[in-house]
Amino acid sequence: MKYFPLVWAALRRKPTRTFVTLLSVTVAFTLFGLMIGFTATMDAIEQQVRADRVYSGARFGEFGGDGMPIAVVSRIAALPGVKSVSVMSYLIGYVQDPKNHAGVFMVDKQAQRVFSDWKITPQQWQKIQQNRIGVVMSRTQATLWQKKVGDTFTLIAPQVEKADGTRTWTFKVLDIGAEIPQAPGGYIFGNYDYFDKSLPLSHQGRVSEVDFIANDPAQAPVLAHRVDHIFANSATPTESQTEKMAYAVGNNFGGLDVNALTHEIALAGLAMILFLTANVITQSVRERLAEFAMLKTIGFSNSILVVLVMLEATTLCLLGAISGVGLAGWLASQLTSIMPPSFGLPLPAISTGVFMSAMLIALAMAFVSATLPTTRLLRMDIASILARKT
Amino acid sequence: MNMLRQIWVASILNFKNLQQRSWQSLVIVVGTSCVIAVLLSMLSMTEGLYQSARKVGGPGLALVVSVGAQSEGQSSIPRDQSRIVMEAPGIARATDGSALADPQVIVGLSVLLRKNDGKSNVALLGIGPKGLMLRPELHIVAGRMFRPGRRELIVGVGAQGRFQNMAIGQNVILPDGEWPIVGSFATGDLQESALVGDNVTVMQAIRHTAFNSVLAKMESPDSLATFRHALTSNPALRVEAGWQRDWFVKSSADLFTVFDIIVYGVGVILAIGALFGCFNTMYAAVDARTTEIATLRALGFGGFAVAVSVLLESIVLSVAGAMIGAGYAWWRYDGVETGFNSNAFKLMVSPSMVGIALLWAVAIALLGGLLPSVRAARLSVAEALRPI
Repeated sequence: MKYFPLVWAALRRKPTRTFVTLLSVTVAFTLFGLMIGFTATMDAIEQQVRADRVYSGARFGEFGGDGMPIAVVSRIAALPGVKSVSVMSYLIGYVQDPKNHAGVFMVDKQAQRVFSDWKITPQQWQKIQQNRIGVVMSRTQATLWQKKVGDTFTLIAPQVEKADGTRTWTFKVLDIGAEIPQAPGGYIFGNYDYFDKSLPLSHQGRVSEVDFIANDPAQAPVLAHRVDHIFANSATPTESQTEKMAYAVGNNFGGLDVNALTHEIALAGLAMILFLTANVITQSVRERLAEFAMLKTIGFSNSILVVLVMLEATTLCLLGAISGVGLAGWLASQLTSIMPPSFGLPLPAISTGVFMSAMLIALAMAFVSATLPTTRLLRMDIASILARKT
Repeated sequence: MNMLRQIWVASILNFKNLQQRSWQSLVIVVGTSCVIAVLLSMLSMTEGLYQSARKVGGPGLALVVSVGAQSEGQSSIPRDQSRIVMEAPGIARATDGSALADPQVIVGLSVLLRKNDGKSNVALLGIGPKGLMLRPELHIVAGRMFRPGRRELIVGVGAQGRFQNMAIGQNVILPDGEWPIVGSFATGDLQESALVGDNVTVMQAIRHTAFNSVLAKMESPDSLATFRHALTSNPALRVEAGWQRDWFVKSSADLFTVFDIIVYGVGVILAIGALFGCFNTMYAAVDARTTEIATLRALGFGGFAVAVSVLLESIVLSVAGAMIGAGYAWWRYDGVETGFNSNAFKLMVSPSMVGIALLWAVAIALLGGLLPSVRAARLSVAEALRPI
């Protein structure tokens, strides 16, 4: 620590250069934070999703098409190894302008059991069942549509005609719920029974999705397969998968290799800035060769000089990394407001792991950028350098 | 000495001693090349998808979907309505007097990607008797055409490259059994990502009772207005029509927005980094050449000429980096087969994208070099020459 004034003096020698270098390191780590933070979020989601929850939907038709008859539920519930079963229907439409895609998931009273791990409270699930026109929406969705508890939420669903011939669905916001990892863009849950009974008689009694919990997570894939087998020759064949499978990164993002992509981008940013910092440190050492020679003459050892240069580089890189990762965290929190609402892209999160790896990389970066200049320091000829200067 | 000549001489001098500052100057080259390589590599995806989608739908083809449908899969046009649509004014007629319009069925089938065994959807398109007349670009490259009314499919070459089990002779499982793939086709656009079969037979197989959309050839580009009016003023219909060419981009607007935010977001962040690098380098360059610049000024060179010469140096270095980056993106990605969801297409690094790269490079150089060049121009000659 006693050498800190020396390091500080070195950094202050060319304040503009130090500042700009700091900014560029910040930028590189902002990108790093966003990219690796995104991967971290995906990992976290994969960790949190359950292996014992199975989603069954109609195999043919977008968003389940016309769905499946509700009778499917009793067939699935009767299967040995199935614990609890709930149904879900999607009401897809828009808010005010057709560009503002939105949707409400209509759930029955069993949802509380099947999705018990979600941070939606039992009271909130019950509210949905007690108030037929009520919905519970997540904070993200509430912010997006500027709704608070007690407000009216109106969804226009051009594809879903009600029994009264209209296509405008009006709900009351009962509560704002906590976010769940399975729905990065937020959620709105409504009452299935109300939804179903509002449809023309000919369209009633259908569901988009049947979700169930298996007693044994290891048996869940087998059960999923069994369900599909049972309905393979029915009017509405199903497509079932465990939540674990549904949220596996490889099955999402349209088949893009997102992990490779984020890592490559982060690497490009770091490589670019490494080149810059290495140059800056080299330059800084070259300019101060005479000073270093002087330090050596008054008794500073080679290793202390090396430490001084290393400390200079480390200060720059660590400070840059900290501010960069911090900036990434802030930018990530702003992403919701610029991304299209319907998209629900998971947001990068600066987890401890991301922060630690940023620090480690910053240290490595400092080490690499300081290596070349320090070898030069060790080889310097004090006499000739001092002679040149005076 | 006129201004241009001054700039010329000062710049030549810059480039002549560039060698002494080679490592530092490389910071600019490396910086811009990283920015442009990443930017164009990512853009090659959006560009590939966009261009491939824009080629779908020959001149005068209009697509009719139900009101508010966000995709063809969501749209639903019952048979009786489809008949009314196909009789609407504005549709071109075949030689036999029948309307050049075709009701279509489109459904997603769950398949596995060849790349990583990941799950994806492939589109199954059911077309009717006029479907092929409306798609002169569709040609069979192997095997044969499916026969109407039969449970047979043909597969696009894009789908064959992207999804598993798409070879001729293999079967696609539909609710009513296995449908053999009897041929493969090419169209040169996004339609190659799909399986194609007979519309009514496919509709029966998946137990749907309505078509998804109607494709119609307009008599002339002006007929769309008439056609639209006829559709919207008919109370029996709840449909809307637009050029097929615009459909994909319109219905995927959110997707393109997300791509743009990510691509340009990453690009801008990288560019800011490169800009700082450029600033640092040019600042150091001016610093190192204080005496030289002061000498030039003492000889009568104008401050403006010196400033421009500094900017020119940063532009040349930056553009060189951009060319390297663009070259890399082009070499590695142009023409590579890829896909997104059910869409198979080729990555594309087009000349216009290289133009974008150049613009970015010049912008980075100008912004990064501006302050250093001002500093060079305002250098106090007396002070700079004093040590000599």
